[in-house]
Amino acid sequence: MSTQLSRRTFIKVSAVGGGLLLGFELPAVPKIGAQTPEATFIPNAYLRITSDDTITIMVHRSEMGQGVQTAIPMILADELEADWTRVHLEQAPADSTYGDQVTGGSVSISSSYGTLRIAGATARTMLIAAAAQIWNVDPAACRAENSRVIHEEKQLSYGELTATAAALPIPRRQELQLKDSSAFRLIGTSIPNVLTPQYVDGTAQYAIDVRLPGMLYAAVARCPVFGGRVESYDDSRTKAFEGVRHIVEIESGVAVVADNSWAALKGRDLLDITWDEGAFVAQNDDTLLQAFAAEIPSAEVAPAIEAIYFTPYLAHATMEPMNCTADVRPDGCDVWAPTQDRQQAKLVAISLTGLNRDVVNIHVPPIGCGLGRRLKVDYVEEAVQISKLVSVPIKLLWSRADDIQNGAYRPATYHVLRATLDEQGRPNHYEHHIVGQPVAAASDLAYGASDHPYDLGDSVVRAHSVMLPIPTAYFRSVSNPTSAFAREAFVDEMAELAGQDPYEYRMALLRNERFKVVLESAARAASWGNPLPEGHAHGIAFHTTWGIPVAQVAEVSISQDKPHIHRIVCAIDCGLVINPDMVVAQMESGIAVGLSSLFNAITFENGRVQEGNFHEYPLLEMKAMPVVEVHIVPSTAMPEGVGEMGIPPVVPAVINALYKLTGKRIRQLPIQGDVF
Amino acid sequence: MEPITLHVNGQRLTIDANPDMPLLWVLRDLLGLTGTKYGCGIGQCGACTVHQDGEAIPSCITPVSEIHDHEITTIEGLGGNDPLQRAWIAESVPQCGYCQPGQIMAAAALLIKHPNPDDDAIDEAMADNLCRCGTYQRIRRAIHLVAGQTGGSAT
Repeated sequence: MSTQLSRRTFIKVSAVGGGLLLGFELPAVPKIGAQTPEATFIPNAYLRITSDDTITIMVHRSEMGQGVQTAIPMILADELEADWTRVHLEQAPADSTYGDQVTGGSVSISSSYGTLRIAGATARTMLIAAAAQIWNVDPAACRAENSRVIHEEKQLSYGELTATAAALPIPRRQELQLKDSSAFRLIGTSIPNVLTPQYVDGTAQYAIDVRLPGMLYAAVARCPVFGGRVESYDDSRTKAFEGVRHIVEIESGVAVVADNSWAALKGRDLLDITWDEGAFVAQNDDTLLQAFAAEIPSAEVAPAIEAIYFTPYLAHATMEPMNCTADVRPDGCDVWAPTQDRQQAKLVAISLTGLNRDVVNIHVPPIGCGLGRRLKVDYVEEAVQISKLVSVPIKLLWSRADDIQNGAYRPATYHVLRATLDEQGRPNHYEHHIVGQPVAAASDLAYGASDHPYDLGDSVVRAHSVMLPIPTAYFRSVSNPTSAFAREAFVDEMAELAGQDPYEYRMALLRNERFKVVLESAARAASWGNPLPEGHAHGIAFHTTWGIPVAQVAEVSISQDKPHIHRIVCAIDCGLVINPDMVVAQMESGIAVGLSSLFNAITFENGRVQEGNFHEYPLLEMKAMPVVEVHIVPSTAMPEGVGEMGIPPVVPAVINALYKLTGKRIRQLPIQGDVF
Repeated sequence: MEPITLHVNGQRLTIDANPDMPLLWVLRDLLGLTGTKYGCGIGQCGACTVHQDGEAIPSCITPVSEIHDHEITTIEGLGGNDPLQRAWIAESVPQCGYCQPGQIMAAAALLIKHPNPDDDAIDEAMADNLCRCGTYQRIRRAIHLVAGQTGGSAT
């Protein structure tokens, strides 16, 4: 028996299925925290087991409410046969060791599932081998269970095996036996979110809650017109305000640094700044709409039916506003950021400070809602610039108005749809043109439109880009909701022209049996076609987001000229489910975000965002939240994402129901007060 | 800046602050009680909800000078094992969690007044507390759960 320790400095892990070999460097000692105790078993970058039986799992993606800090450890812990009650979670540093750490696109589970299982199986195999070596028995005669290795009457805890296991060679992928899905103990169960106790007692430390010794607080005045810049400023009133310490100019505007958040915000508001507003100042909603409409080509075939749909710019309006705490020192830099892209945050901090990457640390606390806004790191850039200029740690706060008026937006989209129908009422020619401002490329305006799920005959889907200085950002499910709104409402228009039931019409057009099962599940659960209470109507919609099918049936009535959404029945097929209640929760939050978008808009006048806070950008409130009933199609296929999939069908499902009630087709969002 | 005496979570404190400073920033920046959240700064979202003598108030628009004679309770003062907090855990209410301290404080104030509220009373009392994650139905269930436990029949 060997008790000599050897530290693993690397491991090669191959992803399940693809045969892709991911080699990654493993930091022998965690970068943050106390020195590693001697008898620590670190088989790979995701896992560390100490002799007191504590299992620490590193979470390499950002936790922003989707439950990844619970679901990722569940996958690894299941394969490891770990005692869940002894599992501790740590957010991983920004490090390419973990591959891509961008938390977006609903890929945290689907892209990590294989790697995490191998990470768990590797450790389990080594712990069994360690026990077998100690007992001098065949490893195949041993089994792992609840953080113990067992052979007949003998058992050793994982903690007792760390020293022996750490000295063993790391097994190759081919030597690992992954668990059969029938043996999963954690996967498929609704384990509660590990952060919930901290969320409900107020001890959860978000980035906005970070407090450092000697820390000051900062706010930035930014040009109200996009593309504008500071021409000159008078800071005499700011300087006179109690608690203001520094006033510095940074790339995005003028920063006020003070003893507390309030003094920073008040001091910022007292600045008298002359802006060079730039060319965008001439733009209003009307001029933007004209620019969009001008891009639409004429019809290729004279259409039997044509419709124009429009969705406005949207702000993410995450409950935790943008913020960042930065401590830039001559010898290093620490940043606490609510970011969905920690590696980009690190690159920005390295570039702005000129420091070596080894001394730049990005800490990612739990995030108070992401929605894609935090894929951008503009608030990190500002905080690092300010801390560097004033040479103290600072916490930068964006006020709600900063967040809504200086944000980055889901682009407005202008849609023209055209179709001709054959004698059976099926489309034989279909055109969908989408005009808008791309986030990265024109194609990102047409997600969910170009990959629509139907047989629509000769189908032409085109995205047309208009370039404007308005900052844009991905917004949970990108353009899938705007594509789904226009197409699914238009499918109802086609069904009406064809004299067919919207559900039956879709079933006949869907290309794929898996999609039909999902649509049928929702329709059956909602009792589609059966009578509803007086004044209520059903609307239905189907969409695939990144290939994942979701169908929703909305039950809607109208009271006091406002839509009242009673119930949403939602069906999804997302492959193997890691945590069923978290899938339900993601559908609920997707539906809430989608329903807010019925009433939200960012509008422009003289190049300025008109909305400044929640009274002008109203989020869904409690009494407007429908009952949500989620049906998950049972599946043993590879797990797929669910974070974005709940949003796209909800708006068209509601709009289609409203049409039944009013005979008026809503083609422009937000819903205006006088539409009924 | 002047000395101001406060009663927060059963403790008597004296701080130096501008009397116009909202209670929110006193709690968060001066006292380190960061469980109370900033969301809007204009009393529109409820993330900053605390109790003033048992009533829910938006701390972001309450100048500290106005509260010196009153008993303030924050989420930290609720202790962590309040029936509402246990119900929030039982119903797996939070997603991102950011608004939940405010939601819980609003719910706690509601139950002081109405030990067994119906859905309409809950909707009305909670109308100023926004949740971007849409956890509202779970919040409602959690409030009913506590109301059911503390007597009366939950609706």
